[in-house]
Amino acid sequence: MSEEQIKKLLQEADVTARRPVFNPVAAGRIRQRIHRRQVVRSGALAAAAAVVVLAATLWIVCMQRQKPQAQQRIASLETQVRELQAQTNATLKLVQEVLERDRQERHLASLEAQLSSIPEPMVEIERQVDRTAFLLVYQADKLYKELNQTDSAVAAYKEVIQLFPKNQWADVARERLAQIEKRQINQSDKQGETRCKPGTA
Amino acid sequence: MSAMAKMSEEQALVERFRRGDDSAFDRIVERHSAELAAMANRLLGWPGDVDDVVQDVFVAAFRGLRTFRGQCGLRTWLFTIAINKCRSRRYRRRLRLVRVKDLEAVAGLDHGGDKAAIDEEQSARVRRAVQVLPQKYREVVVLRYLQGLEIAEICELLGTRVNAVQVRLNRARKRLKEQLGDLLEEKS
Repeated sequence: MSEEQIKKLLQEADVTARRPVFNPVAAGRIRQRIHRRQVVRSGALAAAAAVVVLAATLWIVCMQRQKPQAQQRIASLETQVRELQAQTNATLKLVQEVLERDRQERHLASLEAQLSSIPEPMVEIERQVDRTAFLLVYQADKLYKELNQTDSAVAAYKEVIQLFPKNQWADVARERLAQIEKRQINQSDKQGETRCKPGTA
Repeated sequence: MSAMAKMSEEQALVERFRRGDDSAFDRIVERHSAELAAMANRLLGWPGDVDDVVQDVFVAAFRGLRTFRGQCGLRTWLFTIAINKCRSRRYRRRLRLVRVKDLEAVAGLDHGGDKAAIDEEQSARVRRAVQVLPQKYREVVVLRYLQGLEIAEICELLGTRVNAVQVRLNRARKRLKEQLGDLLEEKS
């Protein structure tokens, strides 16, 4: 069962088979067929173009009929759009105002905070005055009690009273002056008594 | 006529056709139609009427000839078109009806009667066996054993490698032996 046997068998079967039916001079028919196909194709193209044109015409007619309605609708839509735009602008303006006010308030609050951190000038002056008066009284006390310079101390107390008459330390200075006077009087009384006693001279 | 002379003549015909000479196309049809008809007849299972297929091949050729660049011979090119047309035609026909029962009927025929009738029955059986082969096997069998093409030519026509064609031929032969083993034994 070689390849040759199979080939022979096949060729025998082929020989006894029906011969192909084909017109040997068919080139003209082929050209006719191609021409026919071209005609059919161009006809189909023309028909398709006609259908497209018809559809486009119908569409244009429909659009023209619908045009007034469409225009009205467009006009109303434009109005709505304008109204919406105006509302949006107003809202935006309001928002900007609110934001500006908020910004100003925040700025004011920060300024107030800065201001509150600065001390009151009159209070500060009073504090300084009080401090100066205290220092003067303190120095006068030192002159009187430690250095025993009564005249200088009295002058300092008087200066305090003169410069800061309403201050608390002016009152203290007055008390000190009164004490000094009282002591001086007491001392002068004691000296007078000793002079007047018999046997003490 | 030598092969080279034939090739150059065919190229000249193609050139003439491109220049608008319709008689060149007539000449091409005249030259190749019989061979194409025979091949189509075999590939389609010997139906006899292959006029439509051959016409389809030449219609396609008429359109394609203007762009035909001559990478292969005109005959090979026409054969390729014919094979493709036969494939699509067989496929369409298979969609309509598969007549496998015919083969069974032929295989089961009584071998009585005169010798001519027996030979005809055997031939019909062989043809049926070829007809029911899968397409890729049937094509190589027809091209190799009936059209007498070389393996290289078949490769060019089918766009496959030599190995693939040989494998297909082997498998096709195996199937044919399975179907027609008794006939082959009788012959030997």
